[in-house]
Amino acid sequence: MDDITTQFEECLRRHLRSAKPNPINYDVELVQLGLDSMTAVAVLMDMEKTFGIRFPDDMLVEGTFRTAGRLKEAVQLLRERQAS
Amino acid sequence: MTRSLPDQSLGPEWTILELLARGIIDDSEVQMVRDLLTTDTLKWGELLEQALRHKMFPMLAHQIMSASLRFDVPTNIYMHLESALEWNRWQIEVFRRETVRVAQALADRGIPFVVTKGMAFESTLYDSLGTRYMNDIDFMITPRDRDKVMTVMQELGFRPFFDWAKDARREEISSRLNPDHLPKLAREIDQPGIRLIDIDIANSLTWTKSPFDVPVEEALENPVEQPIPGMSGVNIPCFRPIYQFLFTVLHLFREAWLQKFVESGTDVGLMKFGDVIRLIDRNQNKLTDSELLRIMQTHGVTDAVAWVLRHMDETFHTHAVELLALEKHGNEKLLRSQMRSPGYVNAWSESMRGRLQSKSRGSVRPVAPAHRGS
Repeated sequence: MDDITTQFEECLRRHLRSAKPNPINYDVELVQLGLDSMTAVAVLMDMEKTFGIRFPDDMLVEGTFRTAGRLKEAVQLLRERQAS
Repeated sequence: MTRSLPDQSLGPEWTILELLARGIIDDSEVQMVRDLLTTDTLKWGELLEQALRHKMFPMLAHQIMSASLRFDVPTNIYMHLESALEWNRWQIEVFRRETVRVAQALADRGIPFVVTKGMAFESTLYDSLGTRYMNDIDFMITPRDRDKVMTVMQELGFRPFFDWAKDARREEISSRLNPDHLPKLAREIDQPGIRLIDIDIANSLTWTKSPFDVPVEEALENPVEQPIPGMSGVNIPCFRPIYQFLFTVLHLFREAWLQKFVESGTDVGLMKFGDVIRLIDRNQNKLTDSELLRIMQTHGVTDAVAWVLRHMDETFHTHAVELLALEKHGNEKLLRSQMRSPGYVNAWSESMRGRLQSKSRGSVRPVAPAHRGS
């Protein structure tokens, strides 16, 4: 597992109670892992802090974090944008 | 609405505020407030602190002044109260002008809207006395007009404003993810004592994904035109009484029932209940016919309304549940619940009265395991 994946999963596990004991399934909806409107805010803020990114307004929508896979893609995209 | 005099078990300071919040309606209450304000055991520090916490400072000031208690109140406190009332009256005047400016811009573009909460109540429920405190000016629009309204507001000089929040970025993300309101908007102004005007524009009567809601499009139909005091011939659209009542009650429910408002220290205060009591007092005939009950049942909000009115009756000795024929609605489990997050409802053991008086509500915690909510 690369560093980004490790940090990403640690970040999810800090906020999603159902993600803690199990390997994270990147295709399952995060709601099923315990995401709600309050933890969604906490997860996004933690991602911003952990990866030094900022979600633009057009990415602050449910589709961005529907699954762990979608959220990781968004994080990677923002990291790449920042690097360039 | 009839109500018995409150018990004084929580002290004279709290009794004064309860009486003022629900509205003084007869000579016995006038005398009771007067007696309590002049009692030797009154703790002014406690009274002023609780008046501030519940946004009742101007109302307390007005009561003391209108009761001619100039020489019964410590001089420095009296002078401060007098200044606070005058400043509140000035702020209301500035807010009125800004309300009209925004309302005209929205109307010019054919956008349906109403003015809500403090600005709508100040001249109707509070008789334009300058006693209703307000932080901001509130509007209600439909979700489909969010972008159009944002454009209008930017043209009027407003910008999204998050500095009021303890954690501005958290608030910004939260407002984007929960689009029941536009982001809070602010405009700098050049008026004595007022640096910023905040405007809060909602597009839902409750909150995103609420299990209790009334369609905002329906609520905005047939608004009433309400005159603006001091501005001859100028009116603002407001909800008609049934929807004004539903919005006010459901808004109170939102702030009282959702745990996040408790944790942020912005949950329900005495004056929110005061608004509901006055709305019922002023619109009793319109609220007790069958239309209100039919609308509540159609939209499945009867239990939420019963939640608010039952707590209100317990706290203020009113009889709203009986008056609105809601005795069979709501239940003990719901009454003692508070929502922590969608789908989970926590049991809650404190009385509303105890909660309102408490200065450490953030420490209120559920007492029973969470159960799956409806």
